[in-house]
Amino acid sequence: MELKIGLSEKNLRLLPVGEKELIYAVPFDIGKDGKFLRNSFVAITSKSIYVLCEGKLTKTLDIKDFDTFKSEVGVSCGVLYGIPKGADESKAVLIAKYSSGHLARYAYIAKGCRFLAEGRKDIVKSEEYEKYCPRCKRALPGTRTCPRCAGKKEGLIHEMLLMMAPYKLQLVGIFILMLLASLTTLLNPEIQKHLVDDVLMREQGSVKLAMFCLAGMFAMSIGIAIVNLLKNYYCSRLGAVISMDLRKKLYSKIQMLSLSYVNDRKPGDLMNRITRDTQRVSDFMGDSFCNLFTVAVILICDVIYMLILDAKLTVISMVFIPLSVFISIGFRHNIHRRFHMQWVKDDKINSNLRDVLSGMSVVKAYGKEEEESEHFNKTADDYAVTQRKNETFWAVFFPLMQFMMGVGVYLITYFGGVSVIREEKTVGQLMQFVNYTSMMYMYVGWLSNMPRMLMNLVTSVERISDVMQQEPKITDSKDSKAHRVKGGIEFKDVTFGYKTYEPILEHIDLKVKPGEMIGLVGSSGAGKSTMINLIMHLYDVDDGKLLIDGIDIKDIKLADYHAQIGVVLQETFLFSGTILNNIRFARPEATTMEVIRAAKMANAHDFICKTPDGYNTYVGEKGYNLSGGERQRIAIARAILNDPRILILDEATASLDTESEYLIQTALDRLTEGKTTFAIAHRLSTLKNADRLVVIDGHRIAEVGSHNELMEKKGIYYGLVTAQLEMQGTPASENAAV
Amino acid sequence: MEDKEFDLAEMEKETEEMLKINLLNEKNARFTRTEGGFLSLKTGDKDYPRVLAVRMFPFTDPDKYISIRTTGEHSKEIGIIEDMASLSGEVRGIIEEQLDLRYFTPVITGIYSIKDEYGYAYFDVMTDRGRCRFAIHMGGSDVVHLSETRIMITDIDENRFEIPDVLKLTPGERKKLDLFL
Repeated sequence: MELKIGLSEKNLRLLPVGEKELIYAVPFDIGKDGKFLRNSFVAITSKSIYVLCEGKLTKTLDIKDFDTFKSEVGVSCGVLYGIPKGADESKAVLIAKYSSGHLARYAYIAKGCRFLAEGRKDIVKSEEYEKYCPRCKRALPGTRTCPRCAGKKEGLIHEMLLMMAPYKLQLVGIFILMLLASLTTLLNPEIQKHLVDDVLMREQGSVKLAMFCLAGMFAMSIGIAIVNLLKNYYCSRLGAVISMDLRKKLYSKIQMLSLSYVNDRKPGDLMNRITRDTQRVSDFMGDSFCNLFTVAVILICDVIYMLILDAKLTVISMVFIPLSVFISIGFRHNIHRRFHMQWVKDDKINSNLRDVLSGMSVVKAYGKEEEESEHFNKTADDYAVTQRKNETFWAVFFPLMQFMMGVGVYLITYFGGVSVIREEKTVGQLMQFVNYTSMMYMYVGWLSNMPRMLMNLVTSVERISDVMQQEPKITDSKDSKAHRVKGGIEFKDVTFGYKTYEPILEHIDLKVKPGEMIGLVGSSGAGKSTMINLIMHLYDVDDGKLLIDGIDIKDIKLADYHAQIGVVLQETFLFSGTILNNIRFARPEATTMEVIRAAKMANAHDFICKTPDGYNTYVGEKGYNLSGGERQRIAIARAILNDPRILILDEATASLDTESEYLIQTALDRLTEGKTTFAIAHRLSTLKNADRLVVIDGHRIAEVGSHNELMEKKGIYYGLVTAQLEMQGTPASENAAV
Repeated sequence: MEDKEFDLAEMEKETEEMLKINLLNEKNARFTRTEGGFLSLKTGDKDYPRVLAVRMFPFTDPDKYISIRTTGEHSKEIGIIEDMASLSGEVRGIIEEQLDLRYFTPVITGIYSIKDEYGYAYFDVMTDRGRCRFAIHMGGSDVVHLSETRIMITDIDENRFEIPDVLKLTPGERKKLDLFL
C-alpha cells in the first residue's frame, strides 16, 4: 500500500515545503459536512502535518506540539487525530476523516506520525495490497498487480509460455490436429457441391457417381469426428496435466510461505487459487485453446474461399457480422444475468436449509417449526418463479436468436438464388456458398466469446503467479546453522504485531533458563499466544531480539529448530490416517516400540487398545471418532516421541472433563520434565507446577514470579486467582497457604 | 489492600454497575464539544475528557438508544440517551456531530450505471454525500436486504451504502439493480 502518493504541481505549490521533504502523503475523502471530497490530502514532513482540502491548505500542525497520534476506526469510516503535549483526550485535535478504504493506510500514518513525534527517524512502510488498480481503477482480485494492466506486459504471456514449455511435443501434435480439423471442415462443402452439380443436376447422372460422392462426404464426416475427438482428447489431457502441475507447485509454495502470508488471506481465497484458478487454466486449455487456432484457420480460409466464389455476395454477408456479434454478446450477457440470479436464489435456499437443519433443536425447542417452513416456502417459491422465467426465456428466445443470427443466410440465399435462375451460378455453388456463410457466422459468434475467456484466464494466471512470486519472509540465510537446543530462551526488548501498525507485544524482556517451566497468564487477546508464535518462529520479531541459548533465532536453521519443538494445543489436529501415523508425525522413523512407549507415557495406550483396530485405527476427518481428551493424549504422545527441547502447551487441558484432565495432567508432568516449557492456561490451577508465572497485560509483561511471590504481591495475578476461587466458592486465604 | 473482602466488594460493585441501565439526560449529564471537535462529558462526580456516542439500533432506530461510552480498548458504557428528541437543540447538535464522525453510510439517491465485469460489479451512483464510484464482489453477500425494499451494499473496501427504498428509484435504475434484488 502506497503511503506517499505523488501530489500534483498545484497542490505542491500550496505547501511551504517541496516534494523532497515530504515523508508521507495520503488522500482523505470525507469533509466536515460529511460530503465526499476529491483532491484532498494529508501531507507530512518530519516537522509538520499539512491538510490540503480541495485545493486549499486548511490546517498546519507542528508535530513537536503533540504527544501522540491515533487513528480511530468507526463504522465504515475513520478519523485521524492528535493529542497535544501533556494534555488529555479533551484537547484532542481532529485532523482528517476518511472512508473505509483508507483505514489501513491511516493506521500506518498514525504510527508514522507517532514515530516522528518521538523523534525517531524510521519510516513506516506497508506491505498490504491495494484494493483497486491505481492505473485502470478496476478492483484487484487479491493480487498485487492488476491482471488487466499487467496482461499487456509480456510478463503474463511469458508466464503462460513457461507453463506450457515442458509440453512442446504435445503442442506440436495438437497443432497438426488443429490444421487437419480445419481442412476437413472446409472440404466438406466442396464435395457437396460436386454431388449436386456433377451428379444430381446432370441429366445423365449415374447412381454410381452419387454413391461415390456420398461415400466421400461420409468419410469426411467421420474424419472430422475422429480428428476433433483426438484434438479434444489431447487438449483436455494437456490442460489437466498443466493444472495438476500448477496445483502441486502452488501447494508446495503455500506451505513454504510464512504464516503471515497465509493468515493475511481468507482460507477460502488460497483454496480457490489452488483448486478453482488452476481448474480455469485447465478449462481454457481444454475448451478454448484447442478450438482457437482451428477456428482462426477455418475463418480465414472460409472468407478467402467465399471471396473466390463470389466477391459481391461475400460483401453482402459481411454486413451482417456486426449484427451477429452484437446479438451473440447481448444474448450471452442476458443469459449470464438470468442464471446468475437463479444461482443466487439457489444459494439462498441452500443456506436457509443449512441454517434450519443445523439449528433444528433450537427451532423445535422454541416451537418455531411453522414459521421456519413458511420462511423456507417463500424462498423456494421465489426460486421456482425465477427458474420458470429463465426456462421460458430459453425456450422462446433461443430459437429467435438463432433465427436472427441466420438472417444473413436467408439474404444470401435470395441473392444467390437470383443468380442461379439467371444461370450465373450453379445450384451446387450456391449451396456451397450458403454453407460457408453459416460457418462464418457460427465461428464469428464463437470468437466474440474470446475476450471474456481470455480475461478469465489472465485473472487466474495472475492470481496463481501472485502466490508463486511471493518470497517467504522467514527463511534460512546463508549464515543459519543447525543448533542443538539446550532450552535457554531470551526476549530482548521485543516488539511485535501481526499488522505492524498494531503492536500486540511491546518491549518484552524475559530470560528463561533451560528446563524452566513458564506459565503465561493474562486476559484473552493480551498476547500470550503471540509470544508462543514467536518462540515457534512462525513470525519474526519487528523490533528487538529473540535469543535461543544466546543465538539469534534468525541464525538457526528453521527445519532443524522446528524439529526440536513440541506443541500441544487446545484443539488437537489429527491428520487423516492411522493413530500410528499421527503419533509418528514428527518422527516417521521411530520404531513401533518407541511409539508404544510414548503412548503409554501419554496415558493413551489403554484407550488405543480398546479401539477395534488398535494402533491401526483410522482417525481424522472421516475416521474413528475420538473424544477431545483422547485426541489430546495422542498429541502428547506425538510430542513425547519427538522428545523436544522446547515444549509449548497452549490451553492443553482447557476443554476436558475432570477425569481426562487428571490423566492428561499426569502425562504432561512426565512430558515437561527437564524441558523448557511454556504453558498457557485460563484455569490457573493447571499452572501450579510452573517455576515462574509471567502475567501479560496491556501488551507488556506486568508481573513475573512464582505463585507465592505473586500472591504476596497482590497484583493482577492475585486478582485473577481470587476471582477464580470465588467462583468455585473457596476462600483465597486457604489457597494462599498451600 | 490487606483484606480480600475489599477486592470482592469492589468487583461486585463493578459487576452491579455493568448490569445497571443508566439513563442520561440534560439534568444528570453535561455534554460539551471540545475545541478539537470531539465530545466530553461530566456526569455525577465523574469527568470524562472524551466519550464516544454509539447507536444501538443503527438501522431501525438511529436516533434512539445512544450508548455513551469511554474511549480506548476496554470501552465501557457510561450511560444511555433514550431518545435524541428529548435533548435540547444545542446538545443534540453536538452529539449528532459525534455520531456523524463515527458513522458513514451514504444513501444512494440515483444510479448512473452498474457494470459487471470479471467477478466484480462497478457502481457509479449519486449519493446524499455526492457522486461516488465503487466496486463490489459478485456472488458474495455484499448486498443485504434489511427489509423487502431496503438494501445495504458493502463494497470491497467495506464502505457501506444504503438504498432506503428501492421502489423510489426510477424503473430504469431498478433494472440496473435487478441482479442484486
